[in-house]
Amino acid sequence: MIAFVAFSLRRAWQGLWHNRLMSVAATATMVLMLALLSGLIILLTGLDATLKYVEQEVQVVAYVKDSANPQDVNLLETALGQMPQVTEVSYVSKDQALKDFLSRHPDEAEVVNSLPTNPLPASLQINLRDPNDYLDVATYLRNQSPVDRVLNIKQTVDQMVTVIGVLRAVGIGVLVVVGLIVLFIIVNTIRLAVVSRADEIEIMRLVGASDAFIRWPFIFEGAMVGLFGALITIAVLWLGQGPITTVMADYFKVLPVEASATVGRDVALVVLGTGVGIGVLGSYLSIRSYLIR
Amino acid sequence: MRRSQPERGIGASLMAMVSPASSDSRPSQTRLPGTPGKPAGKPVRPRVVLAMEGVTKSYPNGKIALRGVDLVVPEGDFVFLVGPSGAGKSTILKLLIRDEMATKGVVLLDGRDLARLKRKDVPRIRRKIGIVFQDFKLLPHKSVRENVAFALEVTGAPRQSIGPVVDRVLRVVGLTGQADQLPGQLSGGEQQRTAIARALVHNPRLFIADEPTGNLDPLISWEIIQLLLRINELGVTVLMATHNAEVVTALRKRVVALEDGRVVRDQTEAAYHRED
Ligand SMILES: Nc1ncnc2c1ncn2[C@@H]1O[C@H](COP(=O)(O)OP(=O)(O)OP(=O)(O)O)[C@@H](O)[C@H]1O
Ligand SMILES: [Mg+2]
Repeated sequence: MIAFVAFSLRRAWQGLWHNRLMSVAATATMVLMLALLSGLIILLTGLDATLKYVEQEVQVVAYVKDSANPQDVNLLETALGQMPQVTEVSYVSKDQALKDFLSRHPDEAEVVNSLPTNPLPASLQINLRDPNDYLDVATYLRNQSPVDRVLNIKQTVDQMVTVIGVLRAVGIGVLVVVGLIVLFIIVNTIRLAVVSRADEIEIMRLVGASDAFIRWPFIFEGAMVGLFGALITIAVLWLGQGPITTVMADYFKVLPVEASATVGRDVALVVLGTGVGIGVLGSYLSIRSYLIR
Repeated sequence: MRRSQPERGIGASLMAMVSPASSDSRPSQTRLPGTPGKPAGKPVRPRVVLAMEGVTKSYPNGKIALRGVDLVVPEGDFVFLVGPSGAGKSTILKLLIRDEMATKGVVLLDGRDLARLKRKDVPRIRRKIGIVFQDFKLLPHKSVRENVAFALEVTGAPRQSIGPVVDRVLRVVGLTGQADQLPGQLSGGEQQRTAIARALVHNPRLFIADEPTGNLDPLISWEIIQLLLRINELGVTVLMATHNAEVVTALRKRVVALEDGRVVRDQTEAAYHRED
């Protein structure tokens, strides 16, 4: 068994070395595709994080009438806190609202201060478990007496969810296409390797070599192309991780810092698995026609 | 992976052959060696190495290469397979190594029906057969020794057992001195002897040669034929497809003549005159 593996590895290595140019070309293609794949994964991860962030930030904002009885408002707040769709309720008083406004728009301070009364309403800000529950909660709020009006952000959220869903579907579609292209290229590379060694395969069959002895060296060869391609891709990503993280943080603003470590590990694992997997599958498909008779 | 009955190890016989005592003795006077398990003097009916019955072979393109071929070859025979080009000689040999399958009829090799052989058992059957071709089929980047060793490596022979076997078969074919040369540095005859050595590493019961002298000049051809005769004397059945009428006629061995996929003649101690 060990002798068999050693034999297969030795022959796989000989095969790679014998067709150096082709091996390098196959590995380069593999790297290119794996880099594209990791790019897509990183992009999708970023989009996912953005979506999560946005979903988290979906708040129902209900403005409270100035005339509302504080006790009613209190009761409403408690009632909302007990709704299953709601994760958190906070009350923002008129004063707090003004402070928030001023801190966001310091230039307007003069104008605001010149006003006789505080024009900003108090509000209840409600965080939802699931943004799809927006309508339920909003409808409920509209029927409550202390509520003046409910801010309509439903549309914005819906659009955002749709856009991200489309992006995700497109991304996965592209991934699948890229995967098929890599497979196609590997199949052809290994097939060339197989064809260039057709004489050897014929002799092996004639002297009574079992299929395993014929097949496994090529499988290992494909696996090695995948492995090298993956390692090179991971090295490149490793070197580029600084700039990548910066771009991600800039572009998506929201990517949680602690996530980048796991994202890196996940990408590395996916790249490794895909590389080796496609290499093996490609070899298997290429060598099949030479064995079945 | 030998595991049958007290097999006539041609290993031992080959050893005997290269030792001075036996190589001096003339073949015609030597009894078939290598039957140690059988009591001397008691006639034993030879086993049948291969039998074909009503074998028809049509290729996927519709070409019918064999039509109802019957052929029985007992162990130890030396058989020439002759006939014009396209008669079906190579097709018979391909059926025997199960490179192709008979369309109709039965092919038995060493008592086993090749049609009912499981795929995974095919390699083991092939190791009972040594085969050489007109074009030698050597690997150009491997030395003589490596070419011969290759047949053992790819069949999972333990590494340390390979060297001695290779040395032995190289001695049998007389290539010990050229062991480290590449095929390109050898004469045609030496290349064919390398191929023969490779075909011997698994101690085959049946030796198949498909026009082994087709690429060689007459003198070298005779050398190769002599070698095949010696292998036959060790008890290995030899089946040789050839166009070489001179050789066939001179040797007076069994001749099976094919024409258009049919056996038209099967004679012992026969001659062969080419008509094509
Ligand atoms: N793989 C194949 N597919 C289709 N037809 C084939 C195939 N191999 C052989 N044939 C046909 O079968 C017939 C017998 O071929 P075969 O090779 O057995 O002849 P042969 O007696 O060995 O001839 P030669 O002396 O020229 O080697 C020929 O007509 C040949 O064209
Ligand atoms: Mg032929």
